[in-house]
Amino acid sequence: MAQADLNEHRSMLSNSVTNFARGVDLARVRKLRDTNAECDRAVWTQMAELGWLGVLAPEACGGMGLKLGDMAIVAQGLARALVPEPLTAAAVLAARVLADSNNDTLKSKLLEGLVSGEMLPAVAWQEEAGSLDVNNINVQATPAGDGFRVNGSKRFIMGATSAEGFIVSAKSAHGMQLLWIPRDTAGATVQFDRLADNRQAATLTLANVSVPKTHIINSGDIAAGSLARAIDHASAIIGAELCGIMSRSLEITLEYLKTRVQFGKAIGSFQALQHRAVDLYIQQELSSAVLGDCLAVLDGEPDAKTRSAAASRIKARCADAALLITRQSIQMHGAIGYTEDCDVGLYVKRAMTLAAWLGNGHTHRRRYAKTEILEGAL
Amino acid sequence: MNAAATAAKVDYNAMDDEAFRREARAFFENEYPENLRFLPRRLSWVESKPWWLSLSKKGWLAPNWPVEHGGMGLEPGKLIIYWEETERAGIGRMPDQGVTMVGPTLIRFGNEAQRAQYLPKILSGDNVWCQGYSEPNAGSDLASLRTEAVLDGDHYVINGSKIWTSMAHHATNIYVLVRTDKAVKQQRGISFLLVDMKTPGITFRTIRNIAGHEEFCQVFFDNVCTHKDNLVGKLNEGWTIAKGLLTFERLNIGSPRRPLQAFEQLDTLARAQKLFDDPGFVDRYTQLKMDLNDLGSLYQRYVDKARRSEALGPDISMLKVFAMDTYQKLAELLLEAGAEYGAYADEVMLADEKIDLMTPFYTSRPGTIYGGSNEIQRNILSKYVLQLPN
Ligand SMILES: Cc1cc2nc3c(=O)[nH]c(=O)nc-3n(C[C@H](O)[C@H](O)[C@H](O)COP(=O)(O)OP(=O)(O)OC[C@H]3O[C@@H](n4cnc5c(N)ncnc54)[C@H](O)[C@@H]3O)c2cc1C
Repeated sequence: MAQADLNEHRSMLSNSVTNFARGVDLARVRKLRDTNAECDRAVWTQMAELGWLGVLAPEACGGMGLKLGDMAIVAQGLARALVPEPLTAAAVLAARVLADSNNDTLKSKLLEGLVSGEMLPAVAWQEEAGSLDVNNINVQATPAGDGFRVNGSKRFIMGATSAEGFIVSAKSAHGMQLLWIPRDTAGATVQFDRLADNRQAATLTLANVSVPKTHIINSGDIAAGSLARAIDHASAIIGAELCGIMSRSLEITLEYLKTRVQFGKAIGSFQALQHRAVDLYIQQELSSAVLGDCLAVLDGEPDAKTRSAAASRIKARCADAALLITRQSIQMHGAIGYTEDCDVGLYVKRAMTLAAWLGNGHTHRRRYAKTEILEGAL
Repeated sequence: MNAAATAAKVDYNAMDDEAFRREARAFFENEYPENLRFLPRRLSWVESKPWWLSLSKKGWLAPNWPVEHGGMGLEPGKLIIYWEETERAGIGRMPDQGVTMVGPTLIRFGNEAQRAQYLPKILSGDNVWCQGYSEPNAGSDLASLRTEAVLDGDHYVINGSKIWTSMAHHATNIYVLVRTDKAVKQQRGISFLLVDMKTPGITFRTIRNIAGHEEFCQVFFDNVCTHKDNLVGKLNEGWTIAKGLLTFERLNIGSPRRPLQAFEQLDTLARAQKLFDDPGFVDRYTQLKMDLNDLGSLYQRYVDKARRSEALGPDISMLKVFAMDTYQKLAELLLEAGAEYGAYADEVMLADEKIDLMTPFYTSRPGTIYGGSNEIQRNILSKYVLQLPN
């Protein structure tokens, strides 16, 4: 696409997100505490109709075949409004894995379903906290019939509350298998843990689950490579969500600094708070600069090492900046910031969930050190 | 037999420090309810009451009050040992405003009738007090408070509202700062009143905190009458009374033991997740461990001063700043070290151990806001200690 078209296109995307976000009611986000309704399928369908679930999916599957830079606009805008639907989990993580599949029948069913909003798949790959290594898994796929029998369990699965099934990575004698396991498959059980923002992380336990050949998404090195790339891309888009979270939280706080009066003046006139606000603003701008820069690198489809380094730069900066900004938003609000009614609390909580998902700042710096610093130093 | 009278027979101050420590330790370890130890939150009144009464029975509820009023009359050195052993045993924070604030205020500024009316009811657990200082528009700038009281015959009539009143929904009584003179400099027109929470005209709404708990309230006063005998000290002297209290009780908030509970969670997590194999973690863990040790040294300096009965100046603000900042960093490290579990809202089971990663985070947040925010403490330090120009 020519640059002018691209800009035009991105501003349209951005407008549609802004319009949608304007109609979002935070009361629903607050109520998540008492419900399990993080994915409202009516909202989800609307998001599909706006084309957002298909931003990255190829046109052949009903998608738009656009870039991460486009996806980031949608993710950032929806995060600003705290939309709880699992956009990144489905439209990035799952969509990327499915797009690489050479099982055309399954791919068209799942990916077209995902894009149209009718089918919600959740990726179940991680088993150990703090690990970004797709091969660090123990779920086993042993040959059975024309497919596999699968045993083991997966953790930290996002977007699973109303998912129709799981994309599961497993070890086999022939390397990794990426398998489609519908939710109601015999032997598959799902259990949920509440997260800081009242969304849910699922744990999937598989006991002698049968997977037919027709449910194999990908195998061997292609499977592992595809999953690793999907995780890096999802980490980058979580970075975009974190940018949305931090910018809205800072905006609310700056507004408060201008209006809250103590000692006869707006508290924003106290230099201690002015300098703090400036430092937070610098963190916000650093985050968006890193995001823009590294998304361009990722959209250039570099080698795996460059790709992981770019994703880690985004996630490390955006996670830590969002945590800092949202926590300081509480502080600068005083007691009211410590209440459930104050919106900044919702941003603190979403920041915690997003920061921890697919590697927090520390995990990403550790990975970056390993490939970018320690290996080079040898 | 009267509990206070029993307690009066023992002169704890004459006891050897170690002997006193042993007695405190044995009592706290044997008598305090096991299921309430090391809770990462404050205790409700219902949870507190049995322990409140055990303390009261032994004459140990009010270590800071003079013996003649039913307290232990501890000198600073012994009082610090009492606190240390309380923390060591993991004893929870009760709705203790009666003991920490109302008692000392009435003893120092109240009259005989007020002491006779209120002190025994604090000791017996019949009265539970809450603190009505802050208002929607008077937080850090407390002196700008606007809830007013007007004398009408034998009663002060109070109108206005207080907010962030911790545990007001469980309290039987509230002590309030009210404006009684609008014509003078703000600080000079404030008085200190005692009010029964059941008085007609008082209503309140509970406010949920960020963790979803009903921890504080907004209290509304609509022509609330309190007898003029409930004025503590002289009219328009409330500001001096409120400020005069915060002497060496402020040491307590700088105690290095306060964050220990969070540190224990961190240790358990580190062992369960084999985090000591990660040099990056070890580095940050060690930094905080040493920060806490150093906080201990700073704290000790003030403890020694208090023991010598020296006045504690405005420089003690640094203790609160560093203690609360360190506590928050520790709670933040706990979440970071938890990796994906660091976003779990509830307890997690790791290597057969239950770990609560999130509660210390929420518990550590308000420490930099209430009791003079860390920003206000820094203002105090720069103005009164460093004497930088205004
Ligand atoms: C958990 C909790 C329990 C509480 N319990 C009680 C209670 O029982 N009774 C009671 O009376 N009150 C209680 N409070 C209220 C507490 O005392 C106030 O929150 C505190 O005084 C700060 O006031 P504020 O919240 O209105 O914040 P504000 O004063 O509005 O401050 C907002 C921000 O501005 C900063 N700021 C203000 N002035 C300056 C300045 N001059 N320079 C630099 N920065 C400044 C503050 O540090 C803060 O970051 C409680 C608060 C909390 C959080």
